Amino acid sequence: MIRSVESTGHHDGGQPSQSPADHGGNGHSAPQRFVRVRILRQDAPGEESYWERFEIPYVANMNVISILQQVAAQAKSRDGRRVAPVAWDCNCLEEVCGSCTMLINGRTRMACSALVDRLLDESADEIELRPMSKFPVVRDLVVDRGRLFHSLERVKAWVPVDDSYDHGPGPRISPENQEDAYPLATCISCGCCLEACPQFTKIELVRREDESADDFEARRTAAFDAGFVGAHAISQAMLFNGHPTGKMIADERLTALTAQGGIQMCGNAQNCVAVCPKSIPLTRSIARAGRAATVWAIRKIFDR
Amino acid sequence: MAQPRVLVIGGGLAGLSATMRLAELGVQVDLVSLVPVKRSHSVCAQGGINSVNSLTRQQGDNEWKHFDDTVYGGDFLQHQPPVKEMADWGPRIVDLMDRLGVPFNRTPEGFRDQRRFGGTLFKRTAFAGATTGQQLLYSLDEQVRRWEVEGKVKKWEFWDFLEPVLDDAGRCRGAICQDLVTMQFRAFPADAVIIATGGCGLLFGRSTMSMVCNGSAVSRAYRAGAWYGNGEFIQVHPTAIPGADKLRLMSESARGEGGRVWVPKTPHDPRDPRDIPESERSYFLEERYPKYGNLVPRDIATREIFDICTNEGLSVEKDRLCVYLDLTHVPRETLDRKLGGILEIYEKFQGVDPRVVPMKIFPAVHYSMGGLWVDYEKSSTGGLVEGSPRNQQTNIPGLYAIGECDYQYHGANRLGANSLLSCIFSGLFCAPGVIASCDSGGKKAAEESSRLFDSGLRREEERHRALLVRTAGDENPYDLHQQLGNLMTRVATVVRRNDQLAAAYAEVCSLEERWRRCAVSDSGNWTNQNVVFTKSLGDMFPLAKLVLKGALQRDECRGAHYKPDFAMPGIHATDPVEKRREAEAWCDRFEANTRRWLKSTVAACGPGGEPEISYQDVDTSLTPPRPRLYGLVGGEEIEDVWKERQNAATVGGNAHKGPAAFAGATG
Amino acid sequence: MTANDPSQSFLARHQFLIYRLFSLAGLMPVGAFLVVHLLTNASVLAGPGVFQSRVDMIHSLGPLLVPIEWAFIFLPMLFHAVVGFVIIANGLPNVGSYSYVGNVRYTLQRATGMIAFVFIIWHITQLHWLGTPFGGGRFDPHHATSSAAVVLRPLLITILYAVGILSTVFHFSNGLWTLGITWGLWTSPGAMRRANWISIMVGVLLGGAGLGALGGMRSVDVEQAKVIETRMEDVKRMLEGGQSPLESSPSHGQAPAVHTSETAAPVVPTSGSVPRTPSGG
Ligand SMILES: Cc1cc2nc3c(=O)[nH]c(=O)nc-3n(C[C@H](O)[C@H](O)[C@H](O)COP(=O)(O)OP(=O)(O)OC[C@H]3O[C@@H](n4cnc5c(N)ncnc54)[C@H](O)[C@@H]3O)c2cc1C
Ligand code: HEM
Ligand code: SF4
Ligand code: SF4
Ligand code: FES
Repeated sequence: MIRSVESTGHHDGGQPSQSPADHGGNGHSAPQRFVRVRILRQDAPGEESYWERFEIPYVANMNVISILQQVAAQAKSRDGRRVAPVAWDCNCLEEVCGSCTMLINGRTRMACSALVDRLLDESADEIELRPMSKFPVVRDLVVDRGRLFHSLERVKAWVPVDDSYDHGPGPRISPENQEDAYPLATCISCGCCLEACPQFTKIELVRREDESADDFEARRTAAFDAGFVGAHAISQAMLFNGHPTGKMIADERLTALTAQGGIQMCGNAQNCVAVCPKSIPLTRSIARAGRAATVWAIRKIFDR
Repeated sequence: MAQPRVLVIGGGLAGLSATMRLAELGVQVDLVSLVPVKRSHSVCAQGGINSVNSLTRQQGDNEWKHFDDTVYGGDFLQHQPPVKEMADWGPRIVDLMDRLGVPFNRTPEGFRDQRRFGGTLFKRTAFAGATTGQQLLYSLDEQVRRWEVEGKVKKWEFWDFLEPVLDDAGRCRGAICQDLVTMQFRAFPADAVIIATGGCGLLFGRSTMSMVCNGSAVSRAYRAGAWYGNGEFIQVHPTAIPGADKLRLMSESARGEGGRVWVPKTPHDPRDPRDIPESERSYFLEERYPKYGNLVPRDIATREIFDICTNEGLSVEKDRLCVYLDLTHVPRETLDRKLGGILEIYEKFQGVDPRVVPMKIFPAVHYSMGGLWVDYEKSSTGGLVEGSPRNQQTNIPGLYAIGECDYQYHGANRLGANSLLSCIFSGLFCAPGVIASCDSGGKKAAEESSRLFDSGLRREEERHRALLVRTAGDENPYDLHQQLGNLMTRVATVVRRNDQLAAAYAEVCSLEERWRRCAVSDSGNWTNQNVVFTKSLGDMFPLAKLVLKGALQRDECRGAHYKPDFAMPGIHATDPVEKRREAEAWCDRFEANTRRWLKSTVAACGPGGEPEISYQDVDTSLTPPRPRLYGLVGGEEIEDVWKERQNAATVGGNAHKGPAAFAGATG
Repeated sequence: MTANDPSQSFLARHQFLIYRLFSLAGLMPVGAFLVVHLLTNASVLAGPGVFQSRVDMIHSLGPLLVPIEWAFIFLPMLFHAVVGFVIIANGLPNVGSYSYVGNVRYTLQRATGMIAFVFIIWHITQLHWLGTPFGGGRFDPHHATSSAAVVLRPLLITILYAVGILSTVFHFSNGLWTLGITWGLWTSPGAMRRANWISIMVGVLLGGAGLGALGGMRSVDVEQAKVIETRMEDVKRMLEGGQSPLESSPSHGQAPAVHTSETAAPVVPTSGSVPRTPSGG
């Protein structure tokens, strides 16, 4: 709900609220409106999480990032307590860096492109922000998405060039091939597809007292390797298996995709494609990977 | 001898290309970045990357012309040998990126497609959809990931660079960084350190840049003794979408497709723009420039939009400066076909359909041409000596700077689609020189005594603790940042006036003073973004000061630096003789100005933290400076006079001729 | 096939193979059996005689029926079910937050799998001879219609059967669609939409067959069915050379070697009941 009070009202923030532009157009004595947010906070890994409520002056065209910026600036909860600013990730603010994924009103999406007006249409009372649930919380809305990048290593998501010296242009590529590949290449590694995937479950390990950093790293990597690679990585594998040079190690990618935690883990819920902010045709990639794996597995049996 | 070890700070295009090349050359690389490198600001670049190519070559293009366009666009303020080397490398770099798998758009025959960008007559720009920067960055990220798997590269993501570590001889031996999750400090011994930390848009509050473009790393290097070059040259893009959090780029093609810029004649007219009758609108660009209308060059559009809002008070909104960019008269099909993608961006972030309601736009800070001063070694052919340890090295031996955070390639104004090239080029090109420098640095960093690093560690820990205990202060860092940004945007962007600059300098000093009383609202030691922000805010003041001081001292107009009090007006005489005389006088003044001001601004951090500015000659040995006359009244006459003088100076000489005058353009 | 890291457990190393066999098992033989089974049952709509002759056809396999049932039905189904439960246990359904059609189907696939599991066990106990020790096994292959009809008569049982059948049918037909994605038969969104029609058609057809059989069983006149079945039984015996039913009896599987054609079922009233032969239809 957007509560309307006169700008002289009892806003907790202390500073006289500068009346933001009000598009109602009723001139000077526009009432200051506030947006309510409830944020699921957690001080550090392993700590209890708790809700904290904030009230933020409404500004036209606000998005969730501007709410969080305001939360940080005022550092006061709705009941006027001084609280540490909420931690969150962001960078580009134009939905291309993939930093700012969180659960907004229960759904995974990018905070920078989540417009407050639309969110209030969904839940007029209060906007709810939670950290992603499939990755370990670092603090508040910040999560550790290392596993997401590790998946890219697993499927060797790169073109295996000899070196970075000049060997002339790359291979000729038809416009059709480019149009096929480009959407896959726009994956921003945000992790929405993983968050919404019912088959992708959280792996959170805690470093043991007697464990060295390297041992912990190795244990974590092993756990990641056993878990589902995720839709984004399957799609990247298909991107590179479709590239004339990339396909030279297609078998290695298929080996990875059919190892433990590979494509077989996908249960075809197709949430991934529904939540992907970049509308990447993930299920097409998954099905193509399935086909490639079928053919490859049969071929392996007969080529043995 | 131990393996050389190099520390790269920043994983944008520049940092990643350097890392890739160094790893390939056998060097062990530590890559430190505030954000996972794949999330670096370079992903934002949309337009494309420039290089000469086989198509343009057959239309008369060559590396020289790319070089010439770049220095002409940059108003000749950059040293020419590095630019020449970059232009020469252009085709190879785009070929390489092609091989790395960048999905460049294709022609029906399967070659790379090219488009024409501002500032040239040739279709030099290769592009991958509307996300070229993202695609280039990703392909480098992938290669670096490959090296990471090989064990050649170790990434330190969510780490903040705090200071370079210098030995007693003044050579850089590594750096102190901080883990932003655990808040632990760590010394990174290295035989060379490369700074590749991008731009500093946050100095201006909101800009088209990403949130980590705060200039902190550069500022820290500067405070440690590195020089900063051409700080006052800040590029402003005319059309951006103002947002509460960020100013998002709106491509200029909106005006190209018939977009009209206007403001209501009544200030802050509260009516729906669609209800405002024609007679009560001011199409100020069309009125002031009947010849070009809405298609005036970028810098002019920027200045006029800025002027109508700030000086005439005709901004559409009261609290936020903006004007209307109106496409509602263009048929919907045309818009969808030609501008679909960019209009969707507007709709996505503004929640308003620009096909129905006029867009609100305003100029925004976009790029910083200035940056850390770096050296180069000129070759006999006018380019650079490959493998020279001087290339891209700051004045601190062993400390390098590449990418947007160096000052080397774009002079007073950057051409569109040239920055991606300069980032990748400087990264790739510097690698062998960095290795040579490692080898010449004497004993290896790994063997360096820990005393060197301990004092740095202690200093940074102390600085950090001092911030943490300041919970009782009365200043809010976010408010201070907003004030700094507003101030810088008001006085140091589009139009600059000496009185304002001088006053702003004093104001920045007082803001910095207030910063010392900043309260952090989080005194914890776990993922404390609050204290990290406060720290980086503190590092913005030295940069803000050098920008202001550089701008204040430079009494001329050059590229993005525009001072109306020192503008060279066009010639208005109609009588041919008088016209000729004025043109001669104009050229005289131009030459005098070139002698006086064609100099790199070099700022060094003085003992009290104040910038000490000196000027260095610019190497213009390859092509002499000439006036940029685009849109200037009487420009043809001036050009005639100028050409006569040039011919007289170089009888039968230099065959190189610049292309026709063009708009200085940005990306 | 994907034996990569020897330090991994057997199951981990062969996860892909196992999951693919699981998927295959769902189609062949389990799914194929389901289709045959439901269509066979639906033949009751054409009259108890027709159904009886179908059942006889199956039982004509004689002693082979047991190994065939185990090899092609029970074991594959058990394998599919076990892996299915592992998959269910490892998933984290979230339709609450993401109520997209695909996700609803994903969740239903699991729910119906579990319903099918319970239903099939119950169904087997109730009708198949395997259930005899538990007081079930009430299906009499020689009195196919009548014995089944008696069991299915109570309304509650019918409703539970309807739920079980529809769940299984949904599970199978939706499974066909996901199977096509799993194996890469349909890859593009357009192809997936078209394939969806196949799966809907299969679902409607089988659902219709299943409910039809159920309805057919309920509407059948048990006494009259018994009469028909007994008459067919007698005919069979006559054709086999007058063997006494008692001789052929307690060991199941010595089913008649010759089967009657549908139309040939003579309507001769006979009295007396035949001992139960423990075998499911
Ligand atoms: C909206 C927009 C569109 C553009 N379009 C184009 C275009 O079409 N063509 C073109 O040529 N150019 C374009 N540019 C310019 C171009 O994108 C940038 O100049 C270029 O990407 C800069 O790359 P970089 O590698 O120098 O730095 P960045 O990509 O900014 O990377 C900086 C790196 O440094 C790290 N870092 C920063 N500070 C620290 C610190 N204190 N400690 C540790 N790490 C740190 C960051 O984490 C990051 O990894 C555009 C710019 C913008 C804003
Ligand atoms: C009549 C019996 C059954 C038939 C005909 C059948 C058929 C199928 C088919 C064809 C699939 C699709 C496989 C694929 O997507 O590749 C499937 C999937 C599935 N089945 Fe069954 N099944 C039956 C019983 C069961 C039982 C008893 C369970 C156990 C609870 C079960 C659990 C599952 C699960 C969980 C899936 C989804 C697997 C995935 O998508 O990852 N099924 N089934
Ligand atoms: S289709 Fe596969 S990867 Fe995508 S959400 Fe469903 S289970 Fe996850
Ligand atoms: S595939 Fe889509 S949802 Fe998944 S990480 Fe990439 S951009 Fe995000
Ligand atoms: S901040 Fe980059 S995607 Fe949201």
